Amino acid sequence: MTDTLVESSAESAFLDLHKKLLEQGRSALAELQVTALSRFEELGFPHSKHEMYTFVNTKGLVATSFSLPDGSASVSEDFVASHIYPDCKDQCLVFIDGVFDRGLSRCEGVNSNLMPLSEADEEVKAYLSETAENENDVFASLSTAFCDEGLVFKVEANTQISGTVQILFVSTGNTAGSVMHTPRIVWQLGKLSEIKVIEKFVGTEGGYFINSVQDWLLAEGAGVSYTQVQMDSIGSWHFSKVRVYLNRNARFHSSNASSGNQLARHHYEVRLKEEGSEIRLNGVSVLDDKEQVHNFVRIHHEAPQCISHQHFKNIVNGHARSSFDGTVIVCQGAQLTSADQLVNNLMLSNDCHANNKPNLMIFADDVKCTHGVTVGQIDEGQWFYLQTRGLSAKAAKELLTRSFAKSIIETIEFPEVVEELNDTLLKKLEARND
Amino acid sequence: MLEIKDLHASVEGNEILKGISLSIKKGEIHAVMGPNGSGKSTLAKILSGHPSYEVTGGEILFEGKNLLDLEAEERSLAGIFMGFQYPVEVPGVNNAEFLRMAFNARRVKADEEEMDPLDFDELLSEKMKMLKMENKYKERSLNDGFSGGEKKKNEILQMAILEPKLAILDETDSGLDIDALRIVAEGVNSLRNDNNALILITHYQRLLDYIKPDFVHVIHQGKIVKSGDKALALELESQGYDWVTT
Repeated sequence: MTDTLVESSAESAFLDLHKKLLEQGRSALAELQVTALSRFEELGFPHSKHEMYTFVNTKGLVATSFSLPDGSASVSEDFVASHIYPDCKDQCLVFIDGVFDRGLSRCEGVNSNLMPLSEADEEVKAYLSETAENENDVFASLSTAFCDEGLVFKVEANTQISGTVQILFVSTGNTAGSVMHTPRIVWQLGKLSEIKVIEKFVGTEGGYFINSVQDWLLAEGAGVSYTQVQMDSIGSWHFSKVRVYLNRNARFHSSNASSGNQLARHHYEVRLKEEGSEIRLNGVSVLDDKEQVHNFVRIHHEAPQCISHQHFKNIVNGHARSSFDGTVIVCQGAQLTSADQLVNNLMLSNDCHANNKPNLMIFADDVKCTHGVTVGQIDEGQWFYLQTRGLSAKAAKELLTRSFAKSIIETIEFPEVVEELNDTLLKKLEARND
Repeated sequence: MLEIKDLHASVEGNEILKGISLSIKKGEIHAVMGPNGSGKSTLAKILSGHPSYEVTGGEILFEGKNLLDLEAEERSLAGIFMGFQYPVEVPGVNNAEFLRMAFNARRVKADEEEMDPLDFDELLSEKMKMLKMENKYKERSLNDGFSGGEKKKNEILQMAILEPKLAILDETDSGLDIDALRIVAEGVNSLRNDNNALILITHYQRLLDYIKPDFVHVIHQGKIVKSGDKALALELESQGYDWVTT
C-alpha cells in the first residue's frame, strides 16, 4: 500500500508540473501532449512488480521533484565541439536540454530533410496520435506529454544521405533542482533510402532526467545504421524509447554503448511488419560504482522471412546493476523467422548485479529461434595462462575484460566511435583495477 | 640452471610429489616420463607457478634464485616457458596481438624498446613459416576453436617468439598425428642452443625419436624411480612402466 501512496503522489506531482507547462502557453503539439498525458494517467508509474520494470527500481526517480526547463541553459561551443566526431563535423544536429538548437548545429547539408514535428505530414501525425494513445511505456507517455516540439528527419525515396549524421544530446544539469528533458525525433525513411546515424548523450553536470523517444519508420528496402553512445553525467537519469517499424526488406542495424548513470534504461520496441525485414540490436555496457543500465527489448515478428539478432554484453563492477529483459514474439504466420538473442555478463565484483530474462513467444511452426544468457567471472584458467606468458595479473585481467567487450564494440562501423569507447568506456575499469 | 631439491607438493590436501630432486644444466634436454597420475604434470604446473598447487617441502632454484618466490608472470619474464598439455582457449584475444604483448613484456623487462607492430609481424611470419602455420592463425583468437594439433603448434610458436632459457613442454606430443609431431619437433629442435634447456614431459617414447634427450627420468607415485639416458626410454617402451614401478 505504501508503494501506491508514494506513486500516486508522484503522478500528481507530474500532473501539476504539466499544468504549469500549459500555463506557459499553448504548445504546437498541445493535442498530442494531452493524449499522452491521459495515457500517462491510465498507465501510472510502475509498482515494484510491474512486468516492464521487474528489474528497474524507479522509486527514486518518480519521487524526485522536477521543474520545467527555464530555457536559460547555455552550453559553450567548445563543449559541443569536443563531443562531435570528426567525420560528422559538417553534419551534426545538437539538442540542448532536449530542444533542437539550430545555432549550435551544423546542418546545411541536411536542412531540407528537417522539419518541426508540428508540421509533419498527415501520415506521421496519424502515427503519432495512434502511438500516443496506445503507448505501453509510462515514461514514453511522460516524454510525449512534456514535449513542446520535436523534429522530423525525412529521407526521400531512393536517397542516400552521404556521410554520417550525428545527433548530440547535451543536458545541462541543474544543481538547484532536477529538470526533465524530452527530446523527440521521428525518422521517416522513404523506399530504398539509407542513412547512417551516431547519437551521443552527454551532460554538463548531474541533476537531469533525459527521457527521449525516437521513432524510426522505414519504408520498403530502407537501410539504417544507428549507433548510440550513452555517456551522461553520473548523477542523471536516462530513459530512452526507440520504436522501429520495418517494412518489406528494410534493415536496421543498431549498436548501443552505455556507460551508465544512476539509472539508465533503453527500451526497444521493434515491429518487423513485412517480409524480409531485418533488425540487429547490439549493446555493450561497462558499469562501475552504483551505475545502472537496463535494456528492455520487444521484437515482434509480424511477417514471414524476417531476421532479428540481439547480442548484449555487460561488464559489471562495484555495486553496479545491469538487466536485460527481452522478448521475441513470433506472430502467427511469421514462418521462416530467424531470431537469436544472446546476453553475456561479466561480473567483476561480489556486490554487482545482473538480472536477465530472455524470452521467446512463438505462434508459428516453422521458425528458427535461439536465446541464451551467460553470467560469469574472469576465467581463472585463461587468466593464469596469460600470466604464464609474462603478462602481469592486472594486464591479463584487463586484456580479458577488454576482449569480452570487443566483440560488440567492433561491430560499430565508425572507427572514431570505436576509438573513443576504447579510450573512455574501457578505461573506467583500468582505474578500478589498480 | 634449474635445481629441484626434495620437492614435495600437494593439491587440495593430497600429496602428489613426494620428494623430487633434479638438476638441469644449460644445453641439456631432460625427458620426464611416467604412467598416468604419477605426478609429471604436477611438476610442470609447480614450475610454472599454478596457484592451485601447494609446495609443502623442498626448494627450486632457477639460476640461483628461489623460483617459488616468483609469480607466474615473473617466472615467464625470467625465462621459463611452460607449454600446456591443454592450451587454454581465450576468445576475443587476437593471437598476433597477444604474442606481441607477451614479446614486448619481456623486452620492457630487459629495458629494451618495444618492437613495433610491423617489425613484429615480420618476426611472427618467419616463426610461423617454420611451424608451417597458415597466416590466418594471426587473426584468430588465441587458441579459440583451434584443433588439438593447432593448439600445440601455437604453444611452440609462443615458445619460438619468447625464446625462453628453460622450456617445459607438458605432453606437447599427445594428440598430435605423426606429421604434426614431426613439425613440432623440428620447431623445438631449431630453438635449441647451448644456453637453453628443455624438459619434455611425455607419456610416450615416440617424441624422443625426434627430440633426443640427454637424460630420461621416470616418475612413479611422486618420486623419480629411475634415471638414465635415451636407452631407458626405449627399454620402457619395450617393457612397459611395470618394469620400473614394481
